[in-house]
Amino acid sequence: MIYHVSHTSRVTYGAPVDLARFAIRLKPAAWPGQALRDYRMVVSPQPARLTEGFGPFHVNSTLVSFDAPLEELVVTSEFRMEVWPLAIPEDDGTTLAQVRAAALQVGELGDFAPAQFLFGSRIVVIEPEICAWAAPMLADDQSGILGAIKALCAEIYRSFAYTPGVTASDTPPVDAFRARHGVCQDFAHVMIAALRAYGIPAAYVSGYLRTEPPPGQPRLVGADAMHAWVDVWCGPSIGWVAIDPTNDRPAGEDYVTIGMGRDYADVAPVDGVFVGSPAHEMTTAVDVIPEGEV
Amino acid sequence: MNTDGGIADADLFGMAPNASPLAFYAPDGSRGDIYADAPPNVAAKWDIFASAIAGSKGIEDYLRRHVEDLGLGYLLTGEEQERPWPLNPMPVIIGAQEWQRLEDGLVQRADLLERVIADIYGPQQLVADGHLPAAAVTGSRDFTRKMVGVPPSSGHFLHVYCVDLARGPTGEWRVLADRVRLPLGIGYALENRIALSRGTGSLLSAIGARRLADFFDAMRGGIAAACSREDPRIALLTPGRFNQAYPEQAHLARYLGFALVEGRDLLVQDSKLFVRTIAGLKRVDALWRWMNARNLDPLAFDSRSEIGVPDLFSAWAEGGLITANWPGAGVIEARAMSAFLPRLAEVLFGEPLKLPNLSTWWCGQDWERQHVAENLDTLMISPAFRGAVTGLEDGRTRPGASFTGPAREALLQAMERRPMDYTGQEVIRIGTTPCWEKGHFAPRSFTVRTFLARDENGHWCMMPGGLVRLSQAGELRTPLMSEGDLSTDLCVVDDAPGAKVATPPALSPPAVRRAAKILPSQAADNLFWLGRYSERVQMTARVVRALLAASSMQSAQQVSGTVPDRLAGLLARWGVIETTEGTAEELAAAALSDAQRPGSVPALIGNVRQIARLLRDRLFIDSWRVINRPMPGFVPLDSDSMADAAERLMERFATLSGMTAESMSRTPAWNFLDMGVRVERASLALQATLEMVPGHASGDDLTALLDLFDCHYLYRNRYLAIPFIPPVLDMVLLDPDQPRGLAFQVRQLASHIATLPTLRADGMPEPPMRAVRRMEMRIAALDADAVDHATLEELLQEVLALSDAITQRYFLQREPQAGRADKPSIQ
Repeated sequence: MIYHVSHTSRVTYGAPVDLARFAIRLKPAAWPGQALRDYRMVVSPQPARLTEGFGPFHVNSTLVSFDAPLEELVVTSEFRMEVWPLAIPEDDGTTLAQVRAAALQVGELGDFAPAQFLFGSRIVVIEPEICAWAAPMLADDQSGILGAIKALCAEIYRSFAYTPGVTASDTPPVDAFRARHGVCQDFAHVMIAALRAYGIPAAYVSGYLRTEPPPGQPRLVGADAMHAWVDVWCGPSIGWVAIDPTNDRPAGEDYVTIGMGRDYADVAPVDGVFVGSPAHEMTTAVDVIPEGEV
Repeated sequence: MNTDGGIADADLFGMAPNASPLAFYAPDGSRGDIYADAPPNVAAKWDIFASAIAGSKGIEDYLRRHVEDLGLGYLLTGEEQERPWPLNPMPVIIGAQEWQRLEDGLVQRADLLERVIADIYGPQQLVADGHLPAAAVTGSRDFTRKMVGVPPSSGHFLHVYCVDLARGPTGEWRVLADRVRLPLGIGYALENRIALSRGTGSLLSAIGARRLADFFDAMRGGIAAACSREDPRIALLTPGRFNQAYPEQAHLARYLGFALVEGRDLLVQDSKLFVRTIAGLKRVDALWRWMNARNLDPLAFDSRSEIGVPDLFSAWAEGGLITANWPGAGVIEARAMSAFLPRLAEVLFGEPLKLPNLSTWWCGQDWERQHVAENLDTLMISPAFRGAVTGLEDGRTRPGASFTGPAREALLQAMERRPMDYTGQEVIRIGTTPCWEKGHFAPRSFTVRTFLARDENGHWCMMPGGLVRLSQAGELRTPLMSEGDLSTDLCVVDDAPGAKVATPPALSPPAVRRAAKILPSQAADNLFWLGRYSERVQMTARVVRALLAASSMQSAQQVSGTVPDRLAGLLARWGVIETTEGTAEELAAAALSDAQRPGSVPALIGNVRQIARLLRDRLFIDSWRVINRPMPGFVPLDSDSMADAAERLMERFATLSGMTAESMSRTPAWNFLDMGVRVERASLALQATLEMVPGHASGDDLTALLDLFDCHYLYRNRYLAIPFIPPVLDMVLLDPDQPRGLAFQVRQLASHIATLPTLRADGMPEPPMRAVRRMEMRIAALDADAVDHATLEELLQEVLALSDAITQRYFLQREPQAGRADKPSIQ
């Protein structure tokens, strides 16, 4: 499947801001099952300096800075992405206990090293409350890992209300957890917090969903904006498994990945510093359309 | 500065009594006491020192005064008021041999830490080969992924290494903790030494204590040698005045001659780091950072950081910025690391650690987790990395035996779920040292924090001393000091007294220079406002005193009815009081005590103190003390008592300006401080005239005005008549020879601005110069008869415009709004 993706973020400031510098994380990083074509990013107004960078997690990061006062920032990211269906991971009976032990034994520090995704991070704090809540799904060491994460995903889907506007990008997972509501990133954060509380490596993945579903299928939640889901490390034999608690399904051919980090903060689409009052208004428009339908 | 130290010392430390006061010192034999265990030649030095202390009168008070003189204080986390630093007069004395063994061990350890850090941020071979588990690295918040593959510009990840040590029952030393992010205590070690040596005269050299100065020279030389420029600019980056270590940072910056800067003083352009100064942007070659890596650059690390410098990362990656220590080095501090260092020493150096650390078991490994679980009662349990974990919610170490019942079950379960969050460490008995308490020596358990730094050849050099913490509990709960802890100095003594001093290194003197160091814009801004607020306090006190005097004269029917009202109006105009309703005594009491009013005396003094704290590295200690002296007490509503308080405030701030005038070097720092005074005085002169002479005025009103400007007698001498409006206005505003008058201030401002650097290459005057010249000309051309209300208002606007022009040109022009909150506008 080839998607045509176009994403426009517009940030407006009440009063012009000075010395603005931003990190933009919209260019998809290399990802299994994906091939990026014809990438184009337009930043308006023209930045004084633009530097392409990568990292520190598995994400592209474009640094832009402005010398003149800035009233509005418009970033457009456009590309075509070929996506292949990934093989459904085969359940080889790996247990939670085995994953936990293996995660501590892999001698790697790279982008996909499980040890990177084991600990609390800036937004995902490991909370006893979430740990206790997840016990029915994760406390039994002998449960199979794949069954456990499906159950956890289903439980979040079942007991949380999808409510845009009640949380912000940096809402601590425990707040969304207590209120049992939020949007994709809250659900991803809660799921990650639960898994890490049991020593299971879990990562935050940002990207897109196709806007219109294939004929005969329901439109997925979160399709008109950026989306977020979870990658879980299921031991050396299974590896990373992508799962979407917002839609309670594996993240497969309908998903386009931009990058992966410990939580939202590592892959935030735009963040930066400037001198002046915070953004007045921020709007995002996203289209993810199969190539034939463009 | 106290000059009587030398004389008093001779009296305080007379002949030592024959018997050592330590003869009756009785430590607990099973714990190990450093004095009891000292070899005879070292014990003799203890005896000399102890005798001198015991033979002195009031040594504690004497030391306390020296500590105060040094302006030494410390902040407990969460507190804003500094506490006095508790310094015990009895140092810990260590012989050269014992110290040499420590030094060998610590140099080896410092080299080991450097190698491990270099591997983590480089080839990551230790992890790949299984010598170091990946999670022991990633668990640390100080592991800074972004720095992987960015080698340190100086070639060294570590320039300064700080280590905590304890001495055990058999005299063996152990490393308790490694610190490479923030060398907390290094400044206090220095200040303890200075206070102790001032407080005890020649005693330190008599016992052959090694000097600390060489260590600091070596450290500065090590950082400077790494820079590519001949005469590098080194800055100490502070998180700001609310940081626990701010007083220490300010002291160090002053001692080492580093610029004390905050993130907002700095700017990265084209991968080079600059400091904003009054003379434009100036290149910074090296940073000694006193903040965590993640706060250093909001773009590269944590975007929430408001104390960092955007894009600083590029200065490391491409700009060659030297930084001590390199961002990310803190990964080595984790307790989990201590579990692996003994093995890593074997792997990397082929030799064991010369100085052991606490035996540590990291539960991220199966065998170790079981070992800790099975031996819980005999181990100390800690978070493997900084921060809270289940069971240790405060993030602190606890004895495993203290977990009982359900808490024990919960801990063991949490250790099953997330074993990598925990370490177990052996319990050690910490030895004691003699501490001078209430007239005798008592054993207190102690730990030592000492410091190593790279010299200009990149070799480690160890401070021959350190910061000793004395505590009852023998625990190290906080990074620096806990409630009830004492500190003391550590002296390394050579057998032949002064052996080290006898052969001073062949030092080549630095080239003689006079030029001032750079003045960061923000410091200039603060100096300017310190000047303005100090002047405002003084003038407000003066008006309060005049009001009280006028009121008492009025009741005796000696002055006309308008004087107290007009003085009260002036106070209200300045925001000192809310309303002019009330008796003079009530108004004066409000002016002197209502801290809620932004213009009241206590509020103004609060502002002065806040700003003075920001300028700690630049103020003389005497000025600092004057500023921090408590508000003079007074009986509210008692006219005499309040007038007396006002008088004392005036004197105090006059002393402050006198010290500035007499002792402050004529650098741009002085220019800005004095410009603040001048701008404020000019503005107050105009406002006072507007209030006291609203078109018409009695002789009493004019006399009161003349009194405010100290020229009543002069007027009488010059005119031999009662005051009339034109001659009074001429004297207060137009006469350029009246040091409190407007014309004089403007002339001084013009001469200040003329000495300051200009950014224009074309020789044209900058806006502040144009503004001040315009005022000067206008005042020179004014005729006192022609000065009316409108003229006064216009002149006042011109003063404000001049102040704005100074702000625009020299201070941070693009400072965030939030940054100005502590400087409420005053007109």
